[in-house]
Amino acid sequence: MPRQREGSPFTGLATVALKEAADHMTSARIHLVLLLIFLTAVGAVYAAIGEVTATIGEDQFLFLRLFTTARDPLPSFVAFLGFLLPLVAIALGFDAINGEHNRRTLSRVLAQPIYRDALLAGKFVGGLIVIALCLLTLWLLVTGMGILLTGLPPSGEEVLRGLAFLLASFVYAGVWLAVALVCSTLFRAPATSALAALTLWLILTLFWSMLAPLVAGALAPIDPLDPMTQVHQLELQKAFARISPNVLYGEMTLGLLNPATRSLGLVFTAQLQNALLGAPLPVSQSLMLIWPQLAGMIAALLVLFTIAYVSFQRQEIRA
Amino acid sequence: MISAPSLVARIFPKTLLIVPFVAAGLMAATPPPALAQEAAKAEAAKGLWLTTAYPEFAAQAGDTVKVDLSLANAGLPPQRVELKVDGLPEGWTWEIDGGGRAVTAAMAATDKTVDLSLNVTPPKDVKTGSFPFEVTGNADGTQLKLPLTLTMRESEPAKLSLKADLPALRGTPKSSFDFQVTAKNDGQEDSTVNLLAKAPAGFQVTFKEGYGTQELTSLPIEAGKSKNLKVSVQPPDGVEAGQYPVAIAATGGDATAELQLALDITGQPKLALSGPGGRLSGQATAGEKRSFTFTLQNSGTAPARDIGFSASPPSGWEVKFDPEKIPEIAPGQTSDVSVAMTPSDKAIAGDYVVAVRANGDGASDNASFRVTVETSTVWGVTGLGVIAAAVMVLGFGISRYGRR
Repeated sequence: MPRQREGSPFTGLATVALKEAADHMTSARIHLVLLLIFLTAVGAVYAAIGEVTATIGEDQFLFLRLFTTARDPLPSFVAFLGFLLPLVAIALGFDAINGEHNRRTLSRVLAQPIYRDALLAGKFVGGLIVIALCLLTLWLLVTGMGILLTGLPPSGEEVLRGLAFLLASFVYAGVWLAVALVCSTLFRAPATSALAALTLWLILTLFWSMLAPLVAGALAPIDPLDPMTQVHQLELQKAFARISPNVLYGEMTLGLLNPATRSLGLVFTAQLQNALLGAPLPVSQSLMLIWPQLAGMIAALLVLFTIAYVSFQRQEIRA
Repeated sequence: MISAPSLVARIFPKTLLIVPFVAAGLMAATPPPALAQEAAKAEAAKGLWLTTAYPEFAAQAGDTVKVDLSLANAGLPPQRVELKVDGLPEGWTWEIDGGGRAVTAAMAATDKTVDLSLNVTPPKDVKTGSFPFEVTGNADGTQLKLPLTLTMRESEPAKLSLKADLPALRGTPKSSFDFQVTAKNDGQEDSTVNLLAKAPAGFQVTFKEGYGTQELTSLPIEAGKSKNLKVSVQPPDGVEAGQYPVAIAATGGDATAELQLALDITGQPKLALSGPGGRLSGQATAGEKRSFTFTLQNSGTAPARDIGFSASPPSGWEVKFDPEKIPEIAPGQTSDVSVAMTPSDKAIAGDYVVAVRANGDGASDNASFRVTVETSTVWGVTGLGVIAAAVMVLGFGISRYGRR
């Protein structure tokens, strides 16, 4: 029996979001996580610049190489982000709701003229603000280091691709923030919530690529007499692997930062006949290539938020 | 080291060795012939003679005539002979040479012959005909006379000839026309021959020696000999089809020889295919037809006929030409052909190369056209639909569970 609400449900959203962001920015936990990610990022990019100046003399997309080049023993900047961004997001969100519960501040906040919608959305937006600040700083830092150490300005196309990469990273971190938010509404104990989110993170980033072939093999066995079954299994494996945001993020960075990427799916040799391999795609085409991944992540973010919303709305908050 | 013969020579000086043999030889061989000689000499006439081998001879106008004389003394004591020439017409000059110098008297020793030569120079404007004169020798009361007759003839002119093995050649403007020409000096004197050519404007003519590579402007030819020449003619680019005469001449002294060579240049069509606006790249969307206007130019010298088109696109693509055939393009003219390309539905984004080929009668050209394939935006709309569905789920959640 839905009742008519009075006033906008978003009253106080900005207040909650800014307060949340300010709390995060001053908390020791976030400081530590950000320090970790900044140090690794700077290390990775510094190593990448050394590698780039040593091995690549001339490249149309030198700046994009800074993001993707790895030098042993450090992985590339992109790989670092793909691994550590979920950690930042989980650290920001795992105790968003249950933390208030346990501190017994939730009823006090909601005694203000603020809807629950605004509180949840504010918590989410506050986390997103911190992530956006962190990513923008990192991106500027990398670009600045690139200009300083290589002595070259990035081209317009590189800047465009870099910004698209920034957006993709933001959405990726947002998905993990939503996951942490869901955990924080579902579980009362912050430790359980954090462990649940971290478990999901470990499974999806580390073990998913191992699980995908097993699942695909079990669901679509290969008939040696029918080569199409092999194609079918590979497609199923790809589809299953793409449940993991980590895989989607990897594909997006590949499409954006390596302009020669033409397809993220299966490619038959007939499709490559007369193709000029290695020729870069225009930015618009690269964006078109990664758009399904990006759209899927945005949709996943919205669905996860909806789950958190529904779960939060139905909770008993008086404690 | 010292060799054996030189050792012998040192031990026995030459004189010691040779003299006895010579003496012996003389003693053994001479007496009977000596006797016979003396007998013959006694029989032979004694006296003093002035002779020559050819007392009547001919010469060409302008030449200096040289006559060999000999003064023979047989059995007389040495005789001094004063020499001179009588009977030459006015204007003629003469000189008697002996031992390399001009002489006026000669001394004939006993049983010796003195060789002399007489040089007679007729005047420049000498007429033809016979000129008798005599050489006289005055020797101490004895008069020696040698009558000679010089016949002046019309001088023979220098003569050159040029002959080509194959005086007419046929070829395209691109071919090289090499004529093998023989230059012959038919005159009586060696000559240096200058080579000249007269060709239509733009044609380059070079002379080369038989099988040599150096270019020539002149060459020496000995009297009666011939030399082989290679005359290369290079027509200018884009020369029209037709007959072109090339005259070559050889001049040496007063003689000139000319030779007409002919070039029969046949025209050649040449096709040049270029993409829209001169570019060789374009954009197309996967699964959608896109037309590009190619330009076909005939930059040759003959009409290009029966031009068909073909393309080698990636599999699954469709390429159509409009018109499919061009019957004729005149030289210097262009013709447009519309090429409609439909990339495969399954084509992935990126650059592809499509070779487009125009194939005419005797001429063809191909162009590698680079097509940037873009994928259809339909899937992008699908992505938006997914997001919209998620927003609707959220909206439903808010409307269903939204609280006061």
